[in-house]
Amino acid sequence: MTEKERFQRAFAPLHASPDTMTEVMKMTERKMKRPALRRAATIGLAAALVLALGSVAYASDLGGIQRTVQLWIKGDQTDAVMTIDQGRYTIDYTDKDGTEHEMGGGGIAIEDDGTERALTEEEMLEHLDAPEVVYEDDGTVMIYYRGQSLDITDRFDENGLCHVLLRDEQDGGKTLFVTIRYNDGYSYNSTKYEDPYGRR
Amino acid sequence: MFSNEAFAQIAEKYMDTVFRVAYGWLKNPDDANDVTQDVLVELYKTDKAFESDAHLKNWLIRVTVNRCKMLFRSPWRRHEDIDDYAETLSFEQPRDEGLFKAVMALDKKYRVPLLLFYYEGYSTAEVASMLSVAEKTVSTRLYRARAKLRTILEEE
Repeated sequence: MTEKERFQRAFAPLHASPDTMTEVMKMTERKMKRPALRRAATIGLAAALVLALGSVAYASDLGGIQRTVQLWIKGDQTDAVMTIDQGRYTIDYTDKDGTEHEMGGGGIAIEDDGTERALTEEEMLEHLDAPEVVYEDDGTVMIYYRGQSLDITDRFDENGLCHVLLRDEQDGGKTLFVTIRYNDGYSYNSTKYEDPYGRR
Repeated sequence: MFSNEAFAQIAEKYMDTVFRVAYGWLKNPDDANDVTQDVLVELYKTDKAFESDAHLKNWLIRVTVNRCKMLFRSPWRRHEDIDDYAETLSFEQPRDEGLFKAVMALDKKYRVPLLLFYYEGYSTAEVASMLSVAEKTVSTRLYRARAKLRTILEEE
């Protein structure tokens, strides 16, 4: 008998629980009822703006300022059209496979006196220049920052935290300290590592 | 995304494979069943286009390994005695049970490559890719695992 055959016999008796399929079918039914927006939102954050090019135009049909920009999409430099309207932006681009994508973002800023205002264009561009953490379908966790990408799947500690130091030599050695809490957000700071929710 | 019928067929076909890899990693049947469920749900959700059965199985094992890595880091993992679990299994011969226990007594870095190489029939290069380690590392671990197994089995 070969070693392979011996292994086959030794591990053949292992089977998943008979309840597995029932549980999985229940779980998939619940998942089907959930709105399918999460992926779009995740992709929406996967961009980092490098350079805003000319051709600014008013997009009357969309009701906002439209401009052509270059973005880093998961490590690939990509041309995109950015439309800014009342503190929100949308970005349309075609990826290297020819697939068209649309993503968006925005929000409000809170002043020292507590008043709320729409984000400025500069603040939105800054947001787009942030690192992005992507959880791939196969469980791989990647961090993207401008032209860099790093597989951090194995880098989480027993508390589910991962610390990554990002540096862009082409931007005067700009450094970011990124703290990622597994499946629970991330934060970045130019001087130190910070827990996304201030937990320890 | 699969139709419900196609998904059920594929899930039935591969759930034992997923469970075996998860158990090999986690050494706990309850955790392995949880991982199996999670992996199959991921399969249901994915819109990935699989080129072949081999591609699909490879993806499932990769997802399983990544799930196990995440679970393994948790300090709240459940522990179960291998002997207790072995008693619930139907081995053809006592020596099969002996090999099962000997493999499970090895460190995870040895037993998982052993399972993927010998049971699932993957090459060292494929095992290396699934575990995100160098092919030479897999070869070395398989060599050492065999030596350790011989020692364990001779002692019994």
